[in-house]
Amino acid sequence: MKNVIEVKHLTKSYKSNKAVDDLSLTVKEGEILGLLGPNGSGKTTTMNCILSLLKYDNGVINIFGKEMKPDAYDIKAKIGVVFQDVAVFDELTVYGNIDYFCGLYIEDKTTRAQYVEDALKLVGLEDNKGQYPKQLSGGLLRRLNIACGIAHKPSLIFLDEPTVAVDPQSRNNILEGIKKLRDNGATIIYTTHYMEEVEILCDRVIILDHGKIIASGTNDELKSLAKIEEKVTIEVPDLAPEKLAGFDKIKNVSEVEYDNGVLKIVYGKGKNNLADMVEYLKANKINYNKIFAERPTLNDVFLELTGKELRD
Amino acid sequence: MIVSKAFWKIVLKNIGSIISPTIVLLMFGTISATSTSSTMTYEARKPAIVIFNHDEEVGMTKSFISYIDKNAEIKTDYKDDDRLKDALFYENVAAVVEIPENFHQDIALGHKPEVKLRSSAGYVAEVAKVMIRRYLTVAEGYAATNLSEQALVERVDKAIVDDVETEMQAPVDTSKFAKASRYYSFANYTILSCFITIICLIMSAFNRTELRKRNLVGAIDIKKMNLILLKNCCLYALAAWAFYVTVSVFVLGTDVMFTTQGLLYAANSFVFAVMATTVAYLISLFGLTAGAVNGVQNVLALSSSFLCGAFVPIEYMPESVVLFAHALPSYYYIDANDKIMNLSDYSFENLLPILLEMAVVAGFTILFVIVANIISKKRRKIA
Repeated sequence: MKNVIEVKHLTKSYKSNKAVDDLSLTVKEGEILGLLGPNGSGKTTTMNCILSLLKYDNGVINIFGKEMKPDAYDIKAKIGVVFQDVAVFDELTVYGNIDYFCGLYIEDKTTRAQYVEDALKLVGLEDNKGQYPKQLSGGLLRRLNIACGIAHKPSLIFLDEPTVAVDPQSRNNILEGIKKLRDNGATIIYTTHYMEEVEILCDRVIILDHGKIIASGTNDELKSLAKIEEKVTIEVPDLAPEKLAGFDKIKNVSEVEYDNGVLKIVYGKGKNNLADMVEYLKANKINYNKIFAERPTLNDVFLELTGKELRD
Repeated sequence: MIVSKAFWKIVLKNIGSIISPTIVLLMFGTISATSTSSTMTYEARKPAIVIFNHDEEVGMTKSFISYIDKNAEIKTDYKDDDRLKDALFYENVAAVVEIPENFHQDIALGHKPEVKLRSSAGYVAEVAKVMIRRYLTVAEGYAATNLSEQALVERVDKAIVDDVETEMQAPVDTSKFAKASRYYSFANYTILSCFITIICLIMSAFNRTELRKRNLVGAIDIKKMNLILLKNCCLYALAAWAFYVTVSVFVLGTDVMFTTQGLLYAANSFVFAVMATTVAYLISLFGLTAGAVNGVQNVLALSSSFLCGAFVPIEYMPESVVLFAHALPSYYYIDANDKIMNLSDYSFENLLPILLEMAVVAGFTILFVIVANIISKKRRKIA
């Protein structure tokens, strides 16, 4: 697969603060690339530099094999952007807004009308097309924001935290819509600080912190960096200190934490850890209410690499 | 074009906000046009005029006072300034003429001495002002021909008697132009208010940071888009101006508007409308919210209209306010309307002061365009 975006040694500073620090990345055709990082990690700045909305200090940015510049309208014609903040006209209806932003790319009225209808369908706003933005809920407004960004059927789409402050129903709808866009052949850059969304959506993930790439790869590749095989959580209302000490000695256990009646055990490696743990609890006559196991998350990867959580 | 389509959709969505100033203008114009019977007013009484003479009553000064005496009722019982102000306010006195020291010598030498003139509102005051300015115009005209003072007195006395007789037989014209002047001066408020409101609301919508970003990543050159928006703003301004002029034809009548003076009113308001468009465009670059636009519109349109004499004759304003008003384009627009009203003939000499005031308003337009360009360029540099 060919590269749609190539960024080499991108650096952007605000006075003495380096927002993006010698960042290089590639995005392959047809993939969903997740840019994951906490607030202030440089995700949006990177995106704005790639889109030529910000001047950068150093680096080379090529999109579709050509240098990206503010007046590269042939490249821009193939790009769709959904910004974090809702950007629509309050004075235009849902249909009017989508029609306007689609019209910045598509001149033919018949084609545009079809594209607008397609966008309405994709985000599930067919029943709201006559309404004004102020009449929409927060979730529907976000969906409109997305429809405005992708109505012209771009082959490269930037989505900057499109699900911030969205209800679960709208979030699912948005995520389904993004999958459909990818299925239709679009290449997508998805920036977020919600690791669950990245895990569901993205083919490849880049984790950013302080403007630098600290890890990149597929979900599984990244999770292998966490040095955790499994996490087991057990609700144990009363646990005597001498019994707690015994957990450290169990095979493959690398970490034990007990707080407020909840026991968290981290396994560094091994298989069937949960079954072994159930046996251990039974053998030692430790009463418990609930027990479950989890695979490591991208948050664990981030914690392993930076010593802090993604949402810190 | 999609940008123009969105522009006019937003205009229609905001049309309600410009209806009230337009209705006020229509009401004001209609009431003003039907409020007085001009012929009756003129024939019923001569204007009451107070003279403060700081010169000797000889030569041209004597001729001037005698001319006023012949055509007006000279009041001598107003020595106290407060009483005089009250008399002006209640229109018991139409005008106050202050003749400066050495008037008779200066005018004979062609120096154009400054005769201070204060007047009340209303038709009688306008007649008084026209009468006094006419004498001074005729006197200054003859003085330029290097006559002796005695010869000058004789020529002016003869000319002015003929002239005044002609004018006295056609009083209605002056009254009608006074109404036109009031209509167009009040339009200062309506034009500023409607232009600032609509242009700012639309441009602010397009200039909102999030929408600008979306437009910047679009496939249309942002400069081209701004040009389209500017063209549509001008089109809106032209349509609104044409509407107000058309209304004035119906309200004031074709016998006023289809005259040279009528055309001058229209031309003056056009120059002002262009200036108002640039002001509105300039304000819109600051990306104000709808509430802020409303506040700015109120402050600019109401205050400049009040300070510059659109609502209350500027003669009632304190000197400091009048001085400040000189810094506002509305002052020159309204003053030009007054000058058009008092126009006696269409010689270049008489038209020049009006054209100069239009030029000052045009100067403000150029200034605002330059400032808007600077701000616009700065805003384009996002990083």
